[in-house]
Amino acid sequence: MSAPGGRPVVEATGLTRIYAADGVAVRAVDGVDLAVEAGETVSVMGPSGCGKSSLLHLLGGLDRADAGEIVLDGRRVEGLSETSWAVLRRRTIGFVFQSFNLVDELTAVENVELPALLVGASARRARHRAVELLERLGVADRRDHMPDRLSGGESQRVAVARALINDPLLILADEPTGNLDSRATGEILRLFADLRASGQSLLVVTHDARVASTADRLLTMRDGAVIGHTHLGGVAPVGSVLAGLADFGDAGGAR
Amino acid sequence: MRSFRLAVRLARRNLRRRPAQAALLLLTLTLATGMFGVGMALYGSADGPWDRVWAATDGFHVSAAYYRGRDADRADVDLDAARARFAELAAAPEVRAVGGPWTHLYGLLDVAGGTEDLTAEIRDLGRSPVDQPLVTAGSWLSAGSDGVVLEQGLADALDVGPGDTIRVQGHQLAVRGVAMTVSRGRFPLSRPAQIWITPTTGEALRRIGLTEEGLEMQLRLHDPDDAEAFATAHEAIEGRGETSALFLDTWRRRRADSHSDIDILAGTVFAAGTLIGLLTVATAAVIVGGRMAAQTRQIGTLKAVGVTPRQVVLALLVENLALAGLATLVGLGAGRMVAPRLAEVSQTVLGRPETPTLTWGRAAVVAGVAAAVVVLATVRPAVRGLRHSTVRSLASGARPPRGPGHRTRWAATAGLPLVAVLGLRSARRRPARLLTNAVGLSLAVALIVVAAGLRPSLNRLAAVGSAPAQPGEALSAGAVDHLYEAVRAIVLGTAGLLLVLATVNALIIAALAARDSARNHATLRALGATPRQTVATLIVSQLGACLLAVALGLPLGLGLWSVMDGGDLPPVPVPATTLLAIAAVVPLGFAALVAVPARRWARRPPARVLTYE
Amino acid sequence: MRDPILALLAKEPAHGYELRQRLVQALGPPGRALNPGQVYVTLGRLVKAGLVAVEQVGQSSHPDKKVYELTAAGRDRVAEWLADLSWPKVTPTDFHLKLIAAAVAGLADPVALIDAQRHELLRQLREVQEAILVEPPDSRGGLLLEGAALRLQADIRWLEVCEQRWLDWSIR
Repeated sequence: MSAPGGRPVVEATGLTRIYAADGVAVRAVDGVDLAVEAGETVSVMGPSGCGKSSLLHLLGGLDRADAGEIVLDGRRVEGLSETSWAVLRRRTIGFVFQSFNLVDELTAVENVELPALLVGASARRARHRAVELLERLGVADRRDHMPDRLSGGESQRVAVARALINDPLLILADEPTGNLDSRATGEILRLFADLRASGQSLLVVTHDARVASTADRLLTMRDGAVIGHTHLGGVAPVGSVLAGLADFGDAGGAR
Repeated sequence: MRSFRLAVRLARRNLRRRPAQAALLLLTLTLATGMFGVGMALYGSADGPWDRVWAATDGFHVSAAYYRGRDADRADVDLDAARARFAELAAAPEVRAVGGPWTHLYGLLDVAGGTEDLTAEIRDLGRSPVDQPLVTAGSWLSAGSDGVVLEQGLADALDVGPGDTIRVQGHQLAVRGVAMTVSRGRFPLSRPAQIWITPTTGEALRRIGLTEEGLEMQLRLHDPDDAEAFATAHEAIEGRGETSALFLDTWRRRRADSHSDIDILAGTVFAAGTLIGLLTVATAAVIVGGRMAAQTRQIGTLKAVGVTPRQVVLALLVENLALAGLATLVGLGAGRMVAPRLAEVSQTVLGRPETPTLTWGRAAVVAGVAAAVVVLATVRPAVRGLRHSTVRSLASGARPPRGPGHRTRWAATAGLPLVAVLGLRSARRRPARLLTNAVGLSLAVALIVVAAGLRPSLNRLAAVGSAPAQPGEALSAGAVDHLYEAVRAIVLGTAGLLLVLATVNALIIAALAARDSARNHATLRALGATPRQTVATLIVSQLGACLLAVALGLPLGLGLWSVMDGGDLPPVPVPATTLLAIAAVVPLGFAALVAVPARRWARRPPARVLTYE
Repeated sequence: MRDPILALLAKEPAHGYELRQRLVQALGPPGRALNPGQVYVTLGRLVKAGLVAVEQVGQSSHPDKKVYELTAAGRDRVAEWLADLSWPKVTPTDFHLKLIAAAVAGLADPVALIDAQRHELLRQLREVQEAILVEPPDSRGGLLLEGAALRLQADIRWLEVCEQRWLDWSIR
């Protein structure tokens, strides 16, 4: 869903998060500015420990920033209480985690309908919508399975369905393909492409180049700070692999 | 062997990593072993002193006593028959030495507040070959004096000593000495009071109206072990009146009966120890269960090192048995320290109570208690650990809904608020955990019921004890109070301890439940559930176990109460209002207990819980 | 191109036109960008090398109309090629030397070079993945594109390692 007007879905300025580790203050996120426009996909790359996951947690209110501002859907949110954040998240943000984080006591469909029930949808409507989403994502036959019986790819698709059920303004994905094999990764890539096509705003944190390259914009982080920012979409590559594919020369060929 | 050594290493590592849990387990185990240690040290602490006095007084092997009923108006016919019988007994081949027969005069001692029944034993002068009382103050009877010798307990009760006087039915008697004997129990728990007098004094007392009521003879046999057989063989006496009877008693029987108050104290302590032991099992099971759950999360890394679930279970046993061993040592030590102080309350011990030497048998009992607790507590997680070998099964897997019927069931709960639905689903999907928690809590509830019943029982007991004194009991009437005070203190202390343990038990269950669901609830919050909603969900999911516990625990407690009832405490049914109060307070209290750790978790930002391992 | 074309003739002789079709099918969408001239040039060379025999059909001398067939030597060569385990070069030696040269001569910042190259490869990867999305999931052409994507991914990964390493070296 896109935000009305031209304003960014989420905008952060000077975002900072400091941990104390063994008496030393570690700047997990160090004065980061970023924005996600409506309908845009932004990906954040960087070596492990660079703070990209922490950044995502801050943007979604899963952790509290030590400094900086966050404007979500036009509203200042960085100082909100746990309860206020929870209520805000219901309609605004959908999370996709690396380890899926499905509630292990609930079946797949029960997991998916959960956010809908939280915003007060009737049980019937929530269930209906959940089944609809599961079908769209191709895991409808797994609806009554417990999470520990689902494969990685299936689990993540259930998680994406769960993230979509309330038509969130923004999807925050933290290493969505981190625990998946290449086939499942391909499925998720296809899924994200569909989401992009339908105008969903996405912020994806990843170290997988395949996932990152699908974004419109790419941020690179190191040691808590953003050190690089490029546009990927709308800028054509200089060389083309596709053209080169048919250009197989005699190197390594016949004598 | 290698497996064992690895288990030991794992055990040491676990103890080091979670010292708080180990300490808690040790504490609860020590409470149980301590109780049993005290009981074991108490039991038999009167034997040493008794044996010593018995040896010093050339104590009897067989005691023969003849009592003529008070209202017998026959002349000395029966007394003669008794004397004849006594002569026969004395002539028996097994007999080595004879003391008496001595005549007993019965009368009333004048004491402050009334009279006290008195027996005056007429002794010949000179040392008796059997049962020569041990003088502890003053001196023994002598020809030239009319002084009497008091039994030690009587002297203490009257607070008189050599040189003082006592009055028997108005007649003044001088106190010449104070002595101990094993042929009588100690006054006032053993009645009537006893003094020894010379034949001359006897004449004087007959003149003032004391009647001759009995005869006593003490025998020493060649072989002390013959005593039982001898007594059985010679029990009957032929006499003409039914009110007469010849009593034969052996030294062993007398010894066993001589310390009833120690027995009561020890019995109380053992009962308390058993109850605490039961609750300890429940508490230990919860701690161990929580430990297992935490370890199965690490089983992936353990497996990588080559450790199997079987070895993890073995390590668990080693670790807990080590704690049990430590608890045993502390319990035995506590026993030896605390028991003598407790025994000093006793009024039957002849001198200072002596803790019996620590035999392997006694130590084994205490060790057995600790080991039993550990084994019982470890059984379930051990069985589960051995049966399953995959990570998936070891982690407390949630059960999926059954078949197509679940849809309608879900619809039925549709009217409930989301929190209730989630909580109920959570509880229903983990039936094994619900059951364990329910069992643990029901034990706690049962013991709360027992504790509730103790107080009115004790009050009832106190009422019995403080009935107005009958004539002839002026001094001894209050004797039991002393004992009951001690019992009361132990019982109330135990009740308090049980309540504390029950609360600790519930707290641990609550804390573990909160921790186990922390991750799921963090996910819920990421999806938009407020902290209050997750706390409420946890409470609902645990409430099932709690209600089940109350349903099981109330009847269990009543059952336990009726079993314990076989002791000296009068049976008092626990009133229905108390039961209702328990049924209402326990779930509320438990909900409050669950809320505490739940809120701690709910206040943490979800990111920290979700990434916490 | 020589060996693959030989191999494609192994099943049966074919017109030049059919041969091109076979190639296009095997390559998927990139195949459409195939330069027809290159195929014929290669065929000519193969004929010259005696690995392929050509037969004129009809009057036209248009290469499309000629029928090409493997010779015995050609068949041997195909067998040899199928058993051959050599792999196209995998190490980006050129780039590696580029960085060193830039660093040594002080001509450019290696880290900046790496960054630029990385972004370029990411864009190329983006292009490849968009092409993959168009393909049906199980197509042979799609498989080839997968290979391209994975190799780009690997190269990008290497560039990330390079960046870290060159940064460390520059600090010292």
